[in-house]
Amino acid sequence: MPSQDATRASAELAAAPTEPGRLSRRSMLRGAAAAGAAGLAVTAIGSAASPALAATSQPLAQDSPQSHAGPIVVHVRDAKSGDIEVFSGTSEVRLRDTDLAARIARAAG
Amino acid sequence: MSSHREAPEISKDPVADSTDVYAFVSPDKPDTVTLIANYVPLQEPAGGPNFYEFGDDVLYEIHVDNNGDAVADISYQFRFQTKLTTPSSFLYNTGPISSLSDPNWNSKQFYSVTQVDRSGTHVLASDLACPPCNVGVLSTPDYEAKLGQPAVHSLGNDMQVFAGQRAEEFYVDLGSIFDLGNLRPIQELNAFAKAAGLAAMPGVNATNGLNVHSIAIQVPISALTISGHPTIGVWTTASRQRARVFDGAENIFSGPWTQVSRLGNPLINEVIIPLGEKDHWNRSQPVHDKQFATYYAHPELAALLPVLYPFLAPGKPVFPDLAALVAAGTARADLEAILLTGIPSGLIPGFTNFTGAVQADMLRLNTTIPPTSTSAKNYSILGLIAGDPGGFPNGRRVADDVVTIELRAVAGVVYNLIDPKYVPDAAIADVSDFLPVGSATITNGPLAAFPYLGVPYDGYDQKF
Repeated sequence: MPSQDATRASAELAAAPTEPGRLSRRSMLRGAAAAGAAGLAVTAIGSAASPALAATSQPLAQDSPQSHAGPIVVHVRDAKSGDIEVFSGTSEVRLRDTDLAARIARAAG
Repeated sequence: MSSHREAPEISKDPVADSTDVYAFVSPDKPDTVTLIANYVPLQEPAGGPNFYEFGDDVLYEIHVDNNGDAVADISYQFRFQTKLTTPSSFLYNTGPISSLSDPNWNSKQFYSVTQVDRSGTHVLASDLACPPCNVGVLSTPDYEAKLGQPAVHSLGNDMQVFAGQRAEEFYVDLGSIFDLGNLRPIQELNAFAKAAGLAAMPGVNATNGLNVHSIAIQVPISALTISGHPTIGVWTTASRQRARVFDGAENIFSGPWTQVSRLGNPLINEVIIPLGEKDHWNRSQPVHDKQFATYYAHPELAALLPVLYPFLAPGKPVFPDLAALVAAGTARADLEAILLTGIPSGLIPGFTNFTGAVQADMLRLNTTIPPTSTSAKNYSILGLIAGDPGGFPNGRRVADDVVTIELRAVAGVVYNLIDPKYVPDAAIADVSDFLPVGSATITNGPLAAFPYLGVPYDGYDQKF
């Protein structure tokens, strides 16, 4: 049974105008449903599948939502500046989205 | 310890904690180099019911720089996967384990080997079996013949690999050295030990009877080196994914790999890097080691030795020349050369393992120097400082006494290579945690062939 916070978070995130699908906090943390993040304007930086050679990395920015078979984890580094990291598989996308960061921050209570 | 539990963060993450790196021209196959990286320190063999294993969630790597820029040109990556034969049993094994595929063995571990180089990423092998831990005489009888040696896998192209439990071969009087720098064989000279009335006594090998988890790979020299660069730089790293979510029974790992542990030369993060920088050092790359160079040039230990060991007799200091060197604030170019750039040609007749001006902590091995036979006159576990170019700091062999070598190096035994007028203190000849050198007790000693580290100690015959 979700907590009240989780329910509120889900409602807030579901209302996000820039996201093509519903987005709950849980789905932001794990699950392909969080693929809505891929629809945001993003800048892929320095994701590295291997510390050995960064050349093996594959940025996520061009991935389709269906390509995310595993969990997605979002890390809001700084809600004020909208600095967000999105982890998926062994890759990382860095977002600068103050609206999304603000919504997640509100969801966090 | 060489690098066991050497930094605050990694000491809480044993499966990612690198303990020792070895790199040497294989004595029985001198056209190859053997690279070994050990993890999971200080394993008490009676470690059931959940015996030690590699981390399924850790990326282990052994890196080789072959052009002197301190950036990996070849990396071998190892990923592990644990599979349960009988998930409904609480037991590690439900009967004697007589082979790597024995159904009595419940918790098996398998791994892949991937080579990353300039041409891309190449999976060399997958689903290779690790041996089980050496549980005891009933569970793992005839361990080495039935389980240890069968876990040596060929990778083709004259390469072979092993990953699994081995006997700890690094030896050190851990309990004494980190008790105010005490060296038992000369503790009558230690200020604190002298005050406590302790007389000289033999050192105690604190790691005897303990195991580690070892990753060993043997590679032709021709596959590791490029023309004109016979010296390679070697180090290991362990990395974890950036995000982990505890989510019920299943943890979620996500994001790119981030380095949490590294090791090149022995004992560096242990005793050269200060406490406040150790975690940072573990997360850093060798190519950026210039930021730590001051700690190599002015090691705290060099200043401590004359304080901890003040006098041979009233008015007769133990380390007068070292004390003068420290007091003068002299940068230790000898240590910088040994540990950060390699030794340039011209300092030691006929020897160099210089890789260039880039200061980087790598284990440097000149692959053109043949292995020294253990029966040869110049063979010494003190390696280069004793005139044996086949040993540390020219790479590192399993038996090399790196504690004594580095203690003596810090004490100034080779500073006269930089300043010919410098006379090393005579007392350096007695600086060791084991005297005579080589007298450390090692019950399960090294093997003569790959993977070279000894048969792991079994839990039934534990020492306690």
